[in-house]
Amino acid sequence: MIRKIFAVFKRDLLSSRRDFLAMYIIVVPLLLAVGITLFAPGLNDTTVKLAMLKSDDTEHIEYMKQFAKVELFNSLDELERRVAKRDDSVAIAPTGHSYEIILQGNELEMVEDYAVQLNTLYELGATEEETTARLMSFGRITPPLKTKLVNMLIAMTIMLAGMLIAMSIVEEKAENTINAINVTPVSQTGFVIGKSLLGGMAALLGIIGAVLITGFYDINWFMILLVGLTSMILSFVVGFLQGLSSEDVIEAAGSVKLLFLPIAGSIAVYEFASENWHWTVYWSPFYWAYKANNLILSKTADWGTVLLSTGMVIGLSLIVYFMALPKIRKGLS
Amino acid sequence: MKLLSSYLKEMKIAARGFYFYIEIGMAVLLLAILLLVISETSISSSKQFVYNDMPNKIAKYIKDQSIKDGDARLADSTEFKLKPAKFEITNQETVETTAYAFDDEKIIELETMEMLDSDSGELEETVYYVETEEDMIRLAYGESEIGATAAMNPRGKVSYTYYLQGYETDRLESLLYISHSKSPGVINAKKDRQVVRTLGVAETLNNRQNLVPLFIAYLGSLMGFFIVLSYIFYDKAEGVIKAFAVTPSSIWKYLISKIFVILTTVVVSSSIITIPVMGGQPNYLLFYLFLLVTTFALASLGLFVASFFDTIAKAFGVMYGIMITLMLPGFSYYIPSFDPLWLRFFPTYPILQGFKDILLNGDVGYVLTYALVFLAGGLALFFLADMRFKKTLTV
Repeated sequence: MIRKIFAVFKRDLLSSRRDFLAMYIIVVPLLLAVGITLFAPGLNDTTVKLAMLKSDDTEHIEYMKQFAKVELFNSLDELERRVAKRDDSVAIAPTGHSYEIILQGNELEMVEDYAVQLNTLYELGATEEETTARLMSFGRITPPLKTKLVNMLIAMTIMLAGMLIAMSIVEEKAENTINAINVTPVSQTGFVIGKSLLGGMAALLGIIGAVLITGFYDINWFMILLVGLTSMILSFVVGFLQGLSSEDVIEAAGSVKLLFLPIAGSIAVYEFASENWHWTVYWSPFYWAYKANNLILSKTADWGTVLLSTGMVIGLSLIVYFMALPKIRKGLS
Repeated sequence: MKLLSSYLKEMKIAARGFYFYIEIGMAVLLLAILLLVISETSISSSKQFVYNDMPNKIAKYIKDQSIKDGDARLADSTEFKLKPAKFEITNQETVETTAYAFDDEKIIELETMEMLDSDSGELEETVYYVETEEDMIRLAYGESEIGATAAMNPRGKVSYTYYLQGYETDRLESLLYISHSKSPGVINAKKDRQVVRTLGVAETLNNRQNLVPLFIAYLGSLMGFFIVLSYIFYDKAEGVIKAFAVTPSSIWKYLISKIFVILTTVVVSSSIITIPVMGGQPNYLLFYLFLLVTTFALASLGLFVASFFDTIAKAFGVMYGIMITLMLPGFSYYIPSFDPLWLRFFPTYPILQGFKDILLNGDVGYVLTYALVFLAGGLALFFLADMRFKKTLTV
């Protein structure tokens, strides 16, 4: 049985070398991981942008530079034109003995508050030396946004792997080779597993590479591998259902869009909804995979939660698989 | 006439397949999410754990005063689970490190207050009051949120110790320091005297409406790029493109009929999302003009890319690379303070901003300028794709 499964896997591996599809599934997450590594510092440092006059007090300009990104302009007209641009930028301009804060009118409230607070503190002559506050740090260096982006990348890799399996099945259908399987010694289950292995392995390699590139070296690798392996099962089921339910490549493309919804929905509920509402996506294996990865990447995971989450991913994936089994059998015959 | 019959034929084929209905179904689903799940006002998810190191009576007085002034409201108490944890805390000034280890697990219920913006009354932050400093530190670590101890000295002055995660920027740390260098009363009095001038009455989209440009740009225009590729590869596999060599119809008519199918689908799905959310507010003439032009340009890009490959599998890398690159301006759209210059050169940047302007009845000049740019770019790409298809008929 295992030999036959590997024969199907080997054949897929050979045929995928012709169009580099499996290579893309591995390379795309790696490239995106490089992008996240370059992008994340900028996204984390999204402080308020201030526009000031070059003729303003050097001391005032230097003071503001400690807390905000400062751009300098020659005249009040230039300042106003800068504020009127599409991004959130606030101007602080001298008016006699004081300053005025110039807004476009559509800025986020916190942007206005921040600028007002800064100018207030400057006018009061507030300095760090006279502070009564003490700062303590837990020493974490990875910003949560980077963790979220890497986690989303993992979810996308699962989707891509599912797509690889789906495309390969649609291709088999188009070539009419799928029927030929029934007259070979390979069983239908063996064929399903063999066809899924390539996508699953590609996903696993892509995930491991992406996690390493983004700098998450000191996470619990046993945990991430466990979630990675269960995600492989998830991509098997997703890909097979997509592939068998699609008559042609257009439908497969359309179903990717449909699949995007439970993934995006699960992530949105986990990230934005209060915990009281998380039950609404308990049905989604993507929710459990995302949750487990989030805890592992942020180094707050415990084995109980990881095992529960991976158990849910496997359980839900198998429920979907067995429910769809008659359809899979029909699709293969 | 041939063009019309090609288009009608393509529409009939599209109506027979599932794809067209998937698009419509998706649009209905997204509309339901927008109307039922996404609220019109944004809800802040910012949290802070606070331990009040002061007599209970004083802590209660301060909270009551905030409620009375409209700066806060009491919410239902919240349950938190404290898990076993080991970590170190470093004092930022002395660089002295203290190790903490907790083996027990317990559930605690915390008094919860929602801090409000005094002008708009919107939720700014949720504060959880913890009864011991140790539990506050465990929660700040476990929940990855800011923790604080507010301690009152015998002279009645309150000083704060903040527990940060470590990834906060130097700018934020500096702000925390100077925000506590003067008394809150002095700061607030000075703050009230700040002169703020607004350039104009700029309209803004509410939380729900703000998502409409993203849905239209990504699930409409951008999907046009993806779907036209799929259509072409399907026809290549079926040999339809080769058949055009022996028909009186020209290749460009075949290609444009494909784009028309995409345009029809995108117009229907975008209308399903936009009209119920925006009502009669936007200029729909401008909206549909911009929608058609941007979808045409991205679909032409899809045709051009398709002309270089003979199967979708071979085009996969380029296709996904382009799609992901085009999605990047979404970050800038959603985080307005993140707006690097290089991101503005991505075509989806003006598409998102253009749709936003249309929904707000904003800068018509900007929309029309970019409509022209996309039309010219789309025509150029279409011309190039037509040339390539004519030359090869397959690849």
